[in-house]
Amino acid sequence: MEFIDYYKALELNKSASQADIKKAYRKLARKYHPDLNPDDASAKARFQKINEANEVLSDPEKRKKFDEYGKDWQHADQFEQEKQQRGQQGGGFGDFGRGQGQAYSGNFDDDNFSDFFEQMFGGGARSRGTGRSPQYKGQDFNAELQLSLTDVFTSHKQTLTVNGKSIRLTIPAGVENGQTIKISGHGGPGAQGGPKGDLFITFKILNNTNFKREKENLYSNVDLDFYAAILGGEITVDTFEGKVKLNIKPETQNDTRVKLKGKGFPKYKKEGQFGDLFITYNIKVPTDLTSKEKELYTELQKLRA
Amino acid sequence: MNLNELIATEKLCERYSVEHTFIRSLNNSGLLEVITVEKREYVHCNKMAEFEKMLRLHYDLKINLEGLEAIKHLLDRVTDLKEDNLALRNRLGLYE
Repeated sequence: MEFIDYYKALELNKSASQADIKKAYRKLARKYHPDLNPDDASAKARFQKINEANEVLSDPEKRKKFDEYGKDWQHADQFEQEKQQRGQQGGGFGDFGRGQGQAYSGNFDDDNFSDFFEQMFGGGARSRGTGRSPQYKGQDFNAELQLSLTDVFTSHKQTLTVNGKSIRLTIPAGVENGQTIKISGHGGPGAQGGPKGDLFITFKILNNTNFKREKENLYSNVDLDFYAAILGGEITVDTFEGKVKLNIKPETQNDTRVKLKGKGFPKYKKEGQFGDLFITYNIKVPTDLTSKEKELYTELQKLRA
Repeated sequence: MNLNELIATEKLCERYSVEHTFIRSLNNSGLLEVITVEKREYVHCNKMAEFEKMLRLHYDLKINLEGLEAIKHLLDRVTDLKEDNLALRNRLGLYE
């Protein structure tokens, strides 16, 4: 368990007055409040530390105890015992009751005080909120779901376990990497009859294919035989749903791109609609020519000269 | 409109100990949609997260209504930019 310097957390020195603490707290809370820094885990962690620092330093009793033991908090019990044996009075480690400070509220885990705090002041030592009921709607839950590109080619049902509860949901085909969907009413329970929170699922799509994807379009490179490129022909190429035959026009140039309409990825929430597949030809020039081949190419070169 | 999904504004005032004028001000500023059904005002349960956020910013961080409007605007821009950033990152995969 790590020692937390609450003065440092509030960017104050030990001689700070109650007014200084209040001012520093308000300034930093405005900077790091999770509502102002959505999806920023580091700001959230910093905010929790600031909240905790305020909880301790704005309460004279807690502050005194923190100042007294500080880094030696692990030996606080021992010190207390010695003090009592010497007949001195000292504060216990139980519940200090409602603190003087006001912890900011929010639909986030500001309840997560550090182990250091819990150990030093006990679980019941925190003051709760501003007196205003902070939450009516249930807490929103966030989850990440990792799927492969082939998984999201078709809509499918999947059972997720969120906070010990199984939820069966349909994952629509065409969902994108990083996309977040909301499942209404699958968050935490509301307070005093308030609506339930929502479940937000962010998809992480891993590409397990040779295709590259941009939204509903797919891209791939296909090696093309030199002679087929010059004279034309027919090749077989992979699409997401299997192989298809493709005619090659004579005199096809390197990096030529062809579009296979409707052979791309499904469009999100547009059933039956697909993007396109773009194939780029990569013409392979023959190597290790025989003397006969060289002779014939030289002949061809002369014809073009 | 399903009435079960609507929460009466007086219930919100009671629950959060706020004046009705606060909800009305949010509505007038375009920060909160208030729906009137048979002369009674409601907020849709989908808007509760946004409402609670405004409440926290206003009462906890002492941000006034003009500040809330500016914050809302900037947070909306952050959301748009995040979406753009994600689309560009996904597109970057084409060139890697």
